Amino acid sequence: MDSTTAMYVSQGIHGLAYGMVLFLVASGLTLIFGMMGILNVAHTAFFMLAAYFCYQVVAWTGNFWLGLFLAPIATAVVGVLVERFLLRKIHALGLLFELTLTIGVMFVIMEGVKVFWGTENLPLPVPPLLEGLANIGGMEYPIYRLFIIGLSLVVLGFLSFILYKTRMGMVVRAAVSDADMVNALGINVPHLFMFVFGIGTWMAGLAGVAIAPILTVFPGLADQMGMDAFIVVIVGGFGSLGGALMVALISGFLSSYGVQFVSQLAPVLMFIFMAVVLAIKPMGLFGEREG
Amino acid sequence: MKKRVKGIVWGVVLVILVLYPWLFGIYFTNVLVTCAIFALFAVSYNLLLGYTGLFSFGHAMFFGAGGYATALALTHIEGCPLLVALLFGFFGAVALALLLSPIVARLAHSAFAMLHLAFSMLLYTLALKLRGITGGEDGIGGFPIPPFHIPGIVSVDMTDPLHFYYFAMAVLGGSLWIAWFLTKTPFGQIMVSVRDNAKRVDYLGFKVPHTKAIIYALSCGFAGIAGSIYAMFQDLISASALGIAQSFAPIVMTMVGGVIAFSGPIWGAAIFALIEELTTRYTEQVQLVEGLVLIIVILFFPGGFVHLLAVVKGKWLEFMRGKGSGFIKGTWFGKK
Repeated sequence: MDSTTAMYVSQGIHGLAYGMVLFLVASGLTLIFGMMGILNVAHTAFFMLAAYFCYQVVAWTGNFWLGLFLAPIATAVVGVLVERFLLRKIHALGLLFELTLTIGVMFVIMEGVKVFWGTENLPLPVPPLLEGLANIGGMEYPIYRLFIIGLSLVVLGFLSFILYKTRMGMVVRAAVSDADMVNALGINVPHLFMFVFGIGTWMAGLAGVAIAPILTVFPGLADQMGMDAFIVVIVGGFGSLGGALMVALISGFLSSYGVQFVSQLAPVLMFIFMAVVLAIKPMGLFGEREG
Repeated sequence: MKKRVKGIVWGVVLVILVLYPWLFGIYFTNVLVTCAIFALFAVSYNLLLGYTGLFSFGHAMFFGAGGYATALALTHIEGCPLLVALLFGFFGAVALALLLSPIVARLAHSAFAMLHLAFSMLLYTLALKLRGITGGEDGIGGFPIPPFHIPGIVSVDMTDPLHFYYFAMAVLGGSLWIAWFLTKTPFGQIMVSVRDNAKRVDYLGFKVPHTKAIIYALSCGFAGIAGSIYAMFQDLISASALGIAQSFAPIVMTMVGGVIAFSGPIWGAAIFALIEELTTRYTEQVQLVEGLVLIIVILFFPGGFVHLLAVVKGKWLEFMRGKGSGFIKGTWFGKK
């Protein structure tokens, strides 16, 4: 195979891997927004927190897989506590206060990690099993990125199974479209909120752990990803999982091929895309209501 | 009687501000100027948030636009007068606002907030990339600060921090007064009505998108003035003035000070200046403290500092009347 095709394919793999991780972050964000109406500014802070948790687990036990398992769960616990003891208290006050509260939570997490882990880049090695390149059909693929894509697909399948095939998923979908009505039907909506918030932060945590070996663990980890995740949610339409998936993949390919072809413009491509979409469709591509 | 008390209070405040540099020295004078810049920035933000109900995530772009416009004018225009540079800052921000208003005036809520985030990030990235114009990461610095010059009457050197203090405070104070006056006019009442019930305002015959656009432009203009003074004060403007942290600052200040009152953001700016002054001595993580303060304020006093002030004032009056039990038993947290 000639080098040009190889370049296209390898950039494609990078774009796909990034897009899938982005989707993991954005799907939690869009679920929380769709259901609770909260734009969770702290979402990517949870994403980063999980990477630090994983670093700590690996530092203690030397086992990446244990980190991959434990860190997202620990992050979800933090998320549930934030929902239960902070957000729920002020739910009655309305959107503005919930949103600014999550800004406060973001500040605390972003600065808190600096207190515990310092500001240096902490390396998180790729586990030996996933190191190196895989040779498939004469092409070489970095195994770890393939692993990320596979992991995201598993989570995506799991999530869509729960959402579309179980009773609980049905209740969640109903609450996304009208939480008050679901509450009136006798379902404990506050508990449901807590559950969804936990799942959302768990997915953000998983994405954080998955991306950490590539980017290393550092306090700025949330910035780039955070902005992209927000754009995905907005452009895809608030509360729309399908929209989030599509735009996350577009975003992944835009960033990987953008760097290749128009490297000067690459950082602004996504913003231009967003501005154009929102100027035409203020609710995003698949949004059913205005946020 | 009440009016007289108010007059006396304002007179005392004015005297303190005039004597301030002599009382506290140059360091705290600079702290006060920074605080006043952010007070105007936050007040301009609250014109959108508190008065009109428009939540924006990108107000820093107008602050930055004002700063860059002033810096560019002072760098490239030979002998550009001080006030003209200031007007460049104001109109730079207003021009940007008018450019965006056809798109954003139709939106509300999260879409409005997020579109601002997108545009401000776009400008931030452009400011980093267009090195020829904006100087990239270094920003524009070292431009000459012209004297305050009225031909034939007065010419004051502005490189002296003391002189600049009076100039900055006059401009910022004047802008704050104009913003306050604006909220007291009939137009200010329409602003509040747009927030409370845009549909009814429409039925009454007022044009809602036009009203929003005018408030938007004015608010952004004030932010531009704050940015302009900031650029001249630092003799530097860099891309961080457009960044996301800069956009969060007025939101946080407004919420902590109190979104419900005109004075709220000013209190907020003062509180954050105080926090920064106190915490930088012990830790580098100023934002950690700010985040905690924000969370505590929202949990216990959603109305911010003005809320606390009102509660304490009410309880204090009660206390003075001999009914101080509520105050003593600690029920003054005013939680719903």
